[in-house]
Amino acid sequence: MNAPGAALLEVDGLNVGFKTSDGLVRAVTDVSFRIDPGEVLAVVGESGSGKSVTALALMKLHPRSAVISGTAMFDGVDLLALGDADMRAVRGNSIAMVFQDPMTALNPVFTVGFQISEAVLAHNDVTKKAAWARTVELLDLVGVPEPRQRASQYPHEFSGGMRQRAMIAMAISNDPKLLIADEPTTALDVTVQAQVMEVLREVRKETGAAMMLITHDLGLVAGAADRVQVMYASRLFEAGAIDDIFYDSRNPYTRALLGSIPQVDSERTERLLAIPGNPPSLLNPSPGCPFMPRCSERVERCTEELPTLLEIRGREHRSRCHLAQELAPISEVLP
Amino acid sequence: MFAYSIRRILTTIPLLLVALYLVYIGVSVTTDPLAEFRLCLPRCQEGYDRIVELYNLDQSVFVRPFGWAADAITGDFGTSNVAGQPVSTVLWERGINSAMIAIPAFLLAAVLALLLSVYSARRQYSAGDYVLTGLSFFGIAFPAFVLGLVLQVIFAIKLPEWTGWKLFYTGGKRTDNIGEIIGTVTLPVVTLATLFVAADSRFGRAAMLEVINSDFIRTARAKGLSERRVIWRHALRNALIPLVTLWALNFSALLGGSVITESVFSWPGLGQILIPALQRPDLDMVMGIVIFTAIITVVFNLLADLLYGVLDPRIRYD
Amino acid sequence: MTDSSTTKLEVDIAIATEGLTAEPKSFGKLARERFFKHKLAIAGFIGLVLIASIFVLGPWLSPWAFDEPNVLNRRAGPSRDHPFGTDTIGRDLFVRTTMGGRYSLTIGALVAVLATLIGTLLGSAAGFFGKWIDTVVSQLVNLVLVVPAIIVLSVVALRFGAQPVGIAVVLALLLWTRIARVVRGVVMQFREQEFVMAARAAGAGSGRILFRHILPNVFGAVIVEITLLIGLAIVLESTLSFLGVGVKPPTPTLGNLVFQAKGDINSDPIRVLLPGMFIVAIVLCVNFLGDGLRDAIDPRSRADEKE
Ligand SMILES: Nc1ncnc2c1ncn2[C@@H]1O[C@H](COP(=O)(O)OP(=O)(O)OP(=O)(O)O)[C@@H](O)[C@H]1O
Ligand SMILES: [Mg+2]
Repeated sequence: MNAPGAALLEVDGLNVGFKTSDGLVRAVTDVSFRIDPGEVLAVVGESGSGKSVTALALMKLHPRSAVISGTAMFDGVDLLALGDADMRAVRGNSIAMVFQDPMTALNPVFTVGFQISEAVLAHNDVTKKAAWARTVELLDLVGVPEPRQRASQYPHEFSGGMRQRAMIAMAISNDPKLLIADEPTTALDVTVQAQVMEVLREVRKETGAAMMLITHDLGLVAGAADRVQVMYASRLFEAGAIDDIFYDSRNPYTRALLGSIPQVDSERTERLLAIPGNPPSLLNPSPGCPFMPRCSERVERCTEELPTLLEIRGREHRSRCHLAQELAPISEVLP
Repeated sequence: MFAYSIRRILTTIPLLLVALYLVYIGVSVTTDPLAEFRLCLPRCQEGYDRIVELYNLDQSVFVRPFGWAADAITGDFGTSNVAGQPVSTVLWERGINSAMIAIPAFLLAAVLALLLSVYSARRQYSAGDYVLTGLSFFGIAFPAFVLGLVLQVIFAIKLPEWTGWKLFYTGGKRTDNIGEIIGTVTLPVVTLATLFVAADSRFGRAAMLEVINSDFIRTARAKGLSERRVIWRHALRNALIPLVTLWALNFSALLGGSVITESVFSWPGLGQILIPALQRPDLDMVMGIVIFTAIITVVFNLLADLLYGVLDPRIRYD
Repeated sequence: MTDSSTTKLEVDIAIATEGLTAEPKSFGKLARERFFKHKLAIAGFIGLVLIASIFVLGPWLSPWAFDEPNVLNRRAGPSRDHPFGTDTIGRDLFVRTTMGGRYSLTIGALVAVLATLIGTLLGSAAGFFGKWIDTVVSQLVNLVLVVPAIIVLSVVALRFGAQPVGIAVVLALLLWTRIARVVRGVVMQFREQEFVMAARAAGAGSGRILFRHILPNVFGAVIVEITLLIGLAIVLESTLSFLGVGVKPPTPTLGNLVFQAKGDINSDPIRVLLPGMFIVAIVLCVNFLGDGLRDAIDPRSRADEKE
């Protein structure tokens, strides 16, 4: 058991690279963070910033072309050092994952119930019948109507929102301590998005699981997360409690992201393309700050020197910016 | 699903009828059953007349196929003059011989292709994968008759010379001794199977790779399932869907391959009699073979359709 | 890299044409670069050139004629005078094999040209005009597919196939369907595309649109099929000749050389296998070439290299 106050997950110096014919693509560079039991950590950042790769590396579900270093202490063991069999015992059991696209995340040729009960059977020594009963119970819990009948239907007979509920049911089937949700609502309609977030909230209340919520949508983060960490070009750019990030961000990139949250009444945009310019190539990083070409605050130093991730005023608020302390209060910059 | 298959078969029937009609006319126009008789004419008037009557040669070539069809509907497929037996008897006896090669070859090819595709897809870019890919390139490049001859030279001619073991036989079906029959059948079966394994395993590898890289396989792994279950249960079930279509197509190609393989190994199957029947011409025999292969093709397409419906639940409803 | 070559052609084409329209300028160059990076394709190309030059030069360099019998020197083994030996009536096999290679290659090329012409014409008409033309062509394709190919081939070859040109025509009449299917698919996609619409709006007639705007783009998609067709035609020709219904001796082809030597397989296997191995070598090279071309055209493999 954890000592009180100990972290559930403590990631230290995580690096993930992909060997390609053009060279090494550095998808995650020197990322360190922690998740405490029961809390929600939101991970935000533009497309390609390394959010999914981070999550998959923790589960060791990365492609074979990946090279990984660092440590990830979970419940006293280093996930990254686990062998295949030990890792399998963790997957779907104490750490479970919900993926972005519920349309493709379920196997089309097996019934939804079969796929959920498989997760139950993989980690518990119970009969198939008991696993099926548990499956129906789980579907009921995530708000699938008529769970008994629905369990023996195939994924194509489910709507997108219902499939994502089924995915959540599968993820919580073994009472995980950590739930990793990789953009669980991105592929869904706006109205359904809210419902799925609500289901996630409820199942967390039920199971007490901590959650790593990966998302593009800062609007979603505001209501759901305890802490936020912002990634850019494979690195952590800012991390802190939700209020620190929303009301006292010390990083121009985070501020740019905040400025690009779509208004409630405006047309919803899936991507955070409001920031002009494109993220840099991850192949041959230049020496300076990777955000420099797009940054409105850039100074001479930014071209030569990569800023370090520094603690701000001794709080658990970290930012990677040469000007972290000098930036004007956020209220003066954003409307 | 079943209704869908039936409908599909019904739409191929007119096509088949047209094909039968054209084959009959084609053979009639391109060959002359009276050739031998013309030379000796006044003397062999009797034989000449018999042939004219047998094939209704006094009628227009466009009408003749209907006479054949009228008989065929009553179950009378005529007599083969090459074999000197009723066509139905020849079809039955030689059909069994052909099946002794075609069916084992088909099964062997399907199982091997499946195992090899799983291996190659799981070990993509490994040495073994490269070797298999290279071999399949070679296999595809071999025409059936060259491969058959090469195997024949190596295993039936050179092997006994070098080692004194006479394991394989060629030159047709001579006894009813099971051991010898197996020794005779092995080389044609391997020839035929190799051709399909080479092509199918490359297709299977691509199908398997596509499945292995899909989201739901990641989900299966994220559940903590064993790798064995992920591959053999989750991935294979999906990769089988395109493979079944391919196997249905294979079966028609298998018939063509049989003609050649049977010729190479002098195996008394249907394929071996086809060429003499075309040359003679033995119209009734040719039509018998065409209709026989057509029925088999239709039956196997139906089976494939049904299997498809079992494998892919999405089909039942769209 | 090689796995993309066996995936469904339609998909390949869909993606290939997508690439064609998205970036018409860089595509050709990228494709060329990719092709030259493909070592097997280069090897296939060099192999083909090598084999073809042996076939072209062989009969020239040898003092013998391909149809000159010598009853005093029958079934001779390889020697300095006759590098491949002699056949049952004493004809030099080196000359016969290289001559046969010439005929086989010529038949292959001729079939590719004819089948491409027929297939492109019918396929583009079906794809471009749709409606009943499409129905007729599609049924024609199905008809060719439903009759066991070997029967049609044998029947027609028996009658018309004694000469190389006859055999080539017969094979083309059977193989055009592969080209037609590809062309029809591509044309149907292009028909609705913006630049075609623009040309139509500008008052260009159907023929002009088809020949000036659509067909040039189809070429990329069918080039792979055409390459493979050469190999397939050579295999089919040799198979028919092997069955004794193809090109008639004394004109040699690689297939009928095997047919003629078949009876002596027990005593003289090399005479049977040598022409056969030439066929294998040609088809192998052609397939490597086709594979390289497909990789060059398929932007998918390009995409995964960029990332
Ligand atoms: N298998 C791979 N091979 C090479 N590069 C890869 C591979 N997988 C991911 N990458 C690269 O790693 C980087 C990070 O990818 P990741 O999927 O983590 O981004 P993300 O932040 O999750 O983006 P999104 O919001 O689009 O999901 C990307 O630039 C991507 O191109
Ligand atoms: Mg992602």
